[in-house]
Amino acid sequence: MAMNRRDFLKISAGTSGSLMLSLALPGCSGMPTGYTQETGEWKPDAWLEITNTDEIHFTLARVEMGQGTYTGLTTLIAEELEVDPEAITPRFAPVAPEYRNPLYKLQLTGGSTSISTSWEPLRTAGASARQMLIMAAARVWQVDSADCSAAQGRVLHPNGRDSMRYGQLVELAAKESISDDVVLKPASEWKYIGKQRGRLDARAKSTGTAVYGIDVELPGMVYSVVTRPPRYGARVKAFNESDVRAMPGVLDVFEIQRGVAIVADKYWRARKAQDALKVEWDNEAALSLSTHEVFASYRKAADEDRGESERSEGDYEDSLEKAERVFEAEYSQPYLAHATLEPMNATAWYRDNSIEVWAPTQAPDLGRIAAARVTDLSPSDVIINTTFLGGGFGRRLTQDYIEEAAAVAYRVKTPVKLIWSREEDTQHDLYRPAMLHRMQAGFEGNKLTGWHHQIVGPQLLDWYVRNAAPAQYPWAPKFMYDTLGKVGLLAEGIATPKDMSAIEGAIEYPYNVDNIDVRHTHTDPGVPVTFWRSVGYSHNGFAVETFMDELAHETGEDPYQFRRKLLAGQPRHLEVLDRAARLANWDTPVAQGRGRGIALFKSFGSFVAQVVEAGVENGVIKVYKVVCAVDCGQVVNPRIVEDQIEGGIIFGLTAALYGDITYEDGQVQQSNFHDYQLLRQYELPEVAVDIVQSTEAPTGVGEPGVPPVIPALGNALFALTGKRQRSLPLKADA
Amino acid sequence: MALSLIVNGEQRSLDIEGDTPLLWVLRDELGLKGTKFGCGAGLCGACTVHLNGQPVRSCSTPVEFAVGGEVTTIEGLADNGQLHALQKAWIAEGVPQCGYCQSGQIMSAAHLLATNPAPARNDIVAAMTGNLCRCGTYSRIIAAVESVAASSLAYDASAAGQER
Repeated sequence: MAMNRRDFLKISAGTSGSLMLSLALPGCSGMPTGYTQETGEWKPDAWLEITNTDEIHFTLARVEMGQGTYTGLTTLIAEELEVDPEAITPRFAPVAPEYRNPLYKLQLTGGSTSISTSWEPLRTAGASARQMLIMAAARVWQVDSADCSAAQGRVLHPNGRDSMRYGQLVELAAKESISDDVVLKPASEWKYIGKQRGRLDARAKSTGTAVYGIDVELPGMVYSVVTRPPRYGARVKAFNESDVRAMPGVLDVFEIQRGVAIVADKYWRARKAQDALKVEWDNEAALSLSTHEVFASYRKAADEDRGESERSEGDYEDSLEKAERVFEAEYSQPYLAHATLEPMNATAWYRDNSIEVWAPTQAPDLGRIAAARVTDLSPSDVIINTTFLGGGFGRRLTQDYIEEAAAVAYRVKTPVKLIWSREEDTQHDLYRPAMLHRMQAGFEGNKLTGWHHQIVGPQLLDWYVRNAAPAQYPWAPKFMYDTLGKVGLLAEGIATPKDMSAIEGAIEYPYNVDNIDVRHTHTDPGVPVTFWRSVGYSHNGFAVETFMDELAHETGEDPYQFRRKLLAGQPRHLEVLDRAARLANWDTPVAQGRGRGIALFKSFGSFVAQVVEAGVENGVIKVYKVVCAVDCGQVVNPRIVEDQIEGGIIFGLTAALYGDITYEDGQVQQSNFHDYQLLRQYELPEVAVDIVQSTEAPTGVGEPGVPPVIPALGNALFALTGKRQRSLPLKADA
Repeated sequence: MALSLIVNGEQRSLDIEGDTPLLWVLRDELGLKGTKFGCGAGLCGACTVHLNGQPVRSCSTPVEFAVGGEVTTIEGLADNGQLHALQKAWIAEGVPQCGYCQSGQIMSAAHLLATNPAPARNDIVAAMTGNLCRCGTYSRIIAAVESVAASSLAYDASAAGQER
């Protein structure tokens, strides 16, 4: 692979004799480095830094929330640099344009993109550094650099005896300039890619020493809790300030945009003071709906507005008219909370006209905007330090917790840690939207001739653009933020990415059909929503793959074979489907009292097929076995791929069996793990993951395990009971 | 109130309201941040520590209940700098994903093995069912606990062999 080095790599001598490589990822190339007066941006000049004492630091621009970037991205650098991944110390990136995700032009970790977007740039950065170190050594030895090689952090002399440590060479290497074409190692020479199995963060996370946001400790730190309106959108009318002030340890109590903040010298005292707080809310602009009204509003919207067509081929109306048989079904899915095990939290310190924040965030540049919004500061006055994340799943793409911590810190002018309770985390989340799907399919004989899918529900960009648009233009004055947000929405699909959140997975319907129409009726009941592990694929997967199962049943075909014969020209879909069926012994009868269900869904570039074996025991759904075949292109770390897919399966099963956030009179009815349950150890099914060996470019693994398992379980229950469930969560007694 | 307790073998005295959950005393008063806050209601197990050898949910244990008692946290599990066999197994198996629940998982597993060095799979599942993991590391947890249980069996067997 050849890549023009000058496009994205800048080299400079660092302090104390270190070699620094600065890498502008594709999409950001040509961006000036250093300090820029106009923007007030500090652009850090290092991705990779090697010191003369052989310390290797790697700036990790994609956060670690369990999905394995800490290990995976470090492996990419290590492979080409010719050092053990264990010899590299990753550190979390500060906010800078160089660290933006090139797909989103924001510094965010999401969309299962970390490996796919880093695959070439990071290997090229490692290879460039290695090449410069080799050239420096060759110059010292007076030999041809082509005859030298590198291994284990050393350059090796052609004589096979002598070698020099990288640390000895960095000062000289910084003076080298290399050719435009950096040659990457062929796959046959990889030592770590496809082989590395351990996790670089396992030790810190097994000894209690990994620092999460909630663990940040600052001198003189105080604690804050916030009481938010029970109904989203309500405002504070009045509260009993003096009662709260009289509580032990209370330092301050005041209104912020998002509610009433209490600051105390200890966390528990802040919580006890919160018990004494009584807030009178102005509910005029507040949410007052109940869940059944959400679905009623969706049905009304679907009747009144067929929505925008997002994929149209042939003439589906004509095909349905001519069809001998037409099948219809309506599917619905509830709101879902993220339930990261580390509740939302952030620590902030306002001093010297600048605010410093420590937080477990998936989008530090949006955090900067959130902090600037609620203070008189500019984004450039905000420093965001990212920690390890105790789970993300999309929740930490939204920066409400940083907004709150910044507002509190700006007032108290002392380091303050703000922690949400589990109840607050559950009830003040932004949810995976409730969605409705109307499907129609037409057949002539047993040939599928028409497919119609109408998706009904909100789009996530409507909720996300508020901070995302200003984060792309951090030098814009704050009075423009709202304008930028609106422009961001107006320019959707033109200047900003098209919002795929409602339709993704549905418009990529892979089965052969001549007439297809996929459309979206855009309607938003006002419930706060955001990205949730696998986003739109999470609900479209259920609708598409359940309906496919219904069609197979209606036409008297085997659900596996029915899909199979519609996949001509889709070899990667077919391969994972066949593998999953084989692994599940699809052709053998299932044990008495069990049903088997299959589903196939591509998301985030990866192809995933799953077969679930399930039954009902003592009135409870029991999942016995999930087998999964995945094609995610080239695998960097097989163990982490397995773990991500298995984790996705468990995440999906949790949603299928339990996930249900409901509203009554504008208030969320669930609060903690007793009524918003997560799958527990005793419910763990046997899980087998088969990874297709592939040399295709790597694609996502963090999310693609989730979508197929939900319909596969529903299809398994149908196979057992003969009763079709078209809404989630699934029930044992449906 | 002034109170004292033994944490990871050290006598610690502090002045704090007795109803403060042990969790916040460990984390904020004693600086032992390895024990995590997950739910505040004893439902998730992230805050699991040992109190007088028993696993307790420190988020729901008022510190006054621990007065004079012996508390062990994840930081106290290593012995003279040697990681606990479970910690080594956790690293070898690559159990943690986000890792947030793992201190609690390891403390639950450590209690299981302290009372039952050779647990059957059902025993492991039963002992670990109170600890939630949102990332879904459950099968790696079982494998890690089983690997320690198996090696302690092997050790016992070889020790028995030497005696003969």
